[in-house]
Amino acid sequence: MAASAMKPPMAAEIAKIERQWIARGLERCSPLVFAGWMAPWLIMLGAGVYASYLCLRYGLGVTALDNRFGFGLWIFLDLAVIALGAGAFFSGFLLYILKWKEIKAVISSAVVLGFLCYSGAMAVLAIDVGQPLRSWFTFWHPNVHSMLTEVTFCITFYLIVLTVEYLPILLKNRRIKQVPSFLVFEWELHKLIPVMAGIGCLLSFFHQGSLGGLFGVMRGRPFAFREGFAIWPTTFFLFVLSAAAVGPSFIILTTKLVEKITSKRLVKEQIYQTLARTTGVLLTAYIALKSVDTLIWLNSTSFNAGFAPWEYYEWKPFGGWILFAEIVVFGMVPALMLLSKRIRTRRGAVVLGALLACAGVVLNRFVMTIQTLALPTLSFDEFMTYTPNWVEFAVFGMVIAYAVIVYSLSYRYLNLFPQEKELSAGNVEVNDVPVR
Amino acid sequence: MFPFVDGFHWTFGHVLFLTVFGIVLAVIAATLMVSLRRTARESKPGRAEAVRWKSEFHDLTGYERRCRHDLAGRVGHRHCHNEFDCRECETHPKLASVTAAEFDFSTYGLDYPVDRFYHRGQTWVKCESDGTLTVGLTDLGKRLLGRPDRVNLPNAGEKVFANGRGWTAARGGVEVRILAPVDGEVIATGGPESEFYLRVKPLEANPNLAHLLRGQEVSGWVRAQLEQLQILVTPAGSTASLADGGVLMEDLPKAQPEANWDKVYGEMFMAP
Repeated sequence: MAASAMKPPMAAEIAKIERQWIARGLERCSPLVFAGWMAPWLIMLGAGVYASYLCLRYGLGVTALDNRFGFGLWIFLDLAVIALGAGAFFSGFLLYILKWKEIKAVISSAVVLGFLCYSGAMAVLAIDVGQPLRSWFTFWHPNVHSMLTEVTFCITFYLIVLTVEYLPILLKNRRIKQVPSFLVFEWELHKLIPVMAGIGCLLSFFHQGSLGGLFGVMRGRPFAFREGFAIWPTTFFLFVLSAAAVGPSFIILTTKLVEKITSKRLVKEQIYQTLARTTGVLLTAYIALKSVDTLIWLNSTSFNAGFAPWEYYEWKPFGGWILFAEIVVFGMVPALMLLSKRIRTRRGAVVLGALLACAGVVLNRFVMTIQTLALPTLSFDEFMTYTPNWVEFAVFGMVIAYAVIVYSLSYRYLNLFPQEKELSAGNVEVNDVPVR
Repeated sequence: MFPFVDGFHWTFGHVLFLTVFGIVLAVIAATLMVSLRRTARESKPGRAEAVRWKSEFHDLTGYERRCRHDLAGRVGHRHCHNEFDCRECETHPKLASVTAAEFDFSTYGLDYPVDRFYHRGQTWVKCESDGTLTVGLTDLGKRLLGRPDRVNLPNAGEKVFANGRGWTAARGGVEVRILAPVDGEVIATGGPESEFYLRVKPLEANPNLAHLLRGQEVSGWVRAQLEQLQILVTPAGSTASLADGGVLMEDLPKAQPEANWDKVYGEMFMAP
């Protein structure tokens, strides 16, 4: 037999080498299929990197943003992903502070998602604010009376916390853990992760709140302005509560999506039910408080600022429907769906409920950023319209592509779902099979 | 930010800001420092192996972590949370005295001599009259590996630690670590062609082998292992069939080359 014919094909050889990096017991697609999956995301990432270069090289003039509409698609993206990424801190809170052991099944995935959401948001902020080489200035000369300063500090520190939390997951890779020092470091760091989770909760509480607070304190924007307690407007508390409510829902959605794409079961149904119930309870509380807050604003705050509230909804396309959608369609409906065990346990109800809940909070962040800035506040002001251009969409796409790429790599090479191995054993929950 | 930086004022806001974020940064730094310090302390060969076992034990599924008393029929579903170290387990002596329900002792056609102690990583230990311990691969372990392509045994004089690396074997390009069942110093080595793999001198004069399986537990364990093996080698898309009768083949990788042996070895030899 010829020597060349004796050699295994190159693809098989690559698969064999790559197999050494994938945790034992986990089935993954071939390297070729994986490369095919990654290709479009890499192209999207490349386009975004080019658009980012244009922004940093030539300034925001290359975007559709201007002096009147300084915050646009990107700030909406920031607020949305930070709210959705709250699953990381909230699942850490449930697992390490409240000791809900079942959350272990999704905690690694939640940490990776949180890391991606926050690092993506930071990247976009760096492009939006511009002059990233001067970013140290914010930290060295902070304006301690600004909520945005507090947000900057909290998000930066929380990203450090998430990086520390990501490390043990990374070091548990099959090949990396063969290095004894890495393995021991992973173990020792893992033992101290509850401390990080506690710090993460503190930082998240304040930056999620301050992100809402910085809109609520704007007297010059009566559409967003709210009264509150001490220095905190009600939007501070509503942002914290809404982020905590949708964090578990975002974990449900991403896990279900990965399950669909990979045709595998990753977590037990009971976990989905727990996460869904948690969203249901918190979303109910959020919607109740938001309804009260909206009623107070409609009947008092807005009039005190010299505006009849219905005037805001005369500017199309931002009609009254947006308020109805936010509170009823994407608030009360998913809250009821996820709260009721009878509805929640129906096929597809968890996914639909989680999707509506996440959409509701994303819509809320859109209202607080885009709608707030579009509405006129002075008699000579005009209603502003804003349509992002390709550069903004490309940078937006870059963050999505970055998240998909890193999450795909993490899923492939790290054991993000500890129950996957068990559930893939003949698709039987062997843990529950009676042995006698 | 700091008192020496232009713009800082000794006001409540500045001091509170500096204090809160200073504490947060200090806690993050302290966490990393403590982890690194402990890593430096625990990275010695024996300790690192112990840490590896602790870490990997937590990756085992509930089915793999079944308590020995569950396997022996002394108690209902019970998982071990003690890294299979019954020497440190407070519940073990109580459960060991429980008489099990009626239980047929069988090793399903496999050879598991009753004069040996068994480790769940497919090894056995036999106490010799001169105080040394002989370590070998169980019958199921031998059938799983068949004729290994390569075996790396420790040299005489090296120390092995219970649940740490005993030796490694490779078959069909898949390498697997075989866990040592006891602490000891290697005084002789055998191999696949020999009756045993290691002969060790225990590190303690009277070694405590309470963490190893014996008697009824072995029967329950072998049955559980065979069930698990059947699920593992069942082709994707089909259901594991519960065959009755017959004995497992001598060289399983040769008999069923299409199975995912990387996964099978990982689970059967407890090397996740």
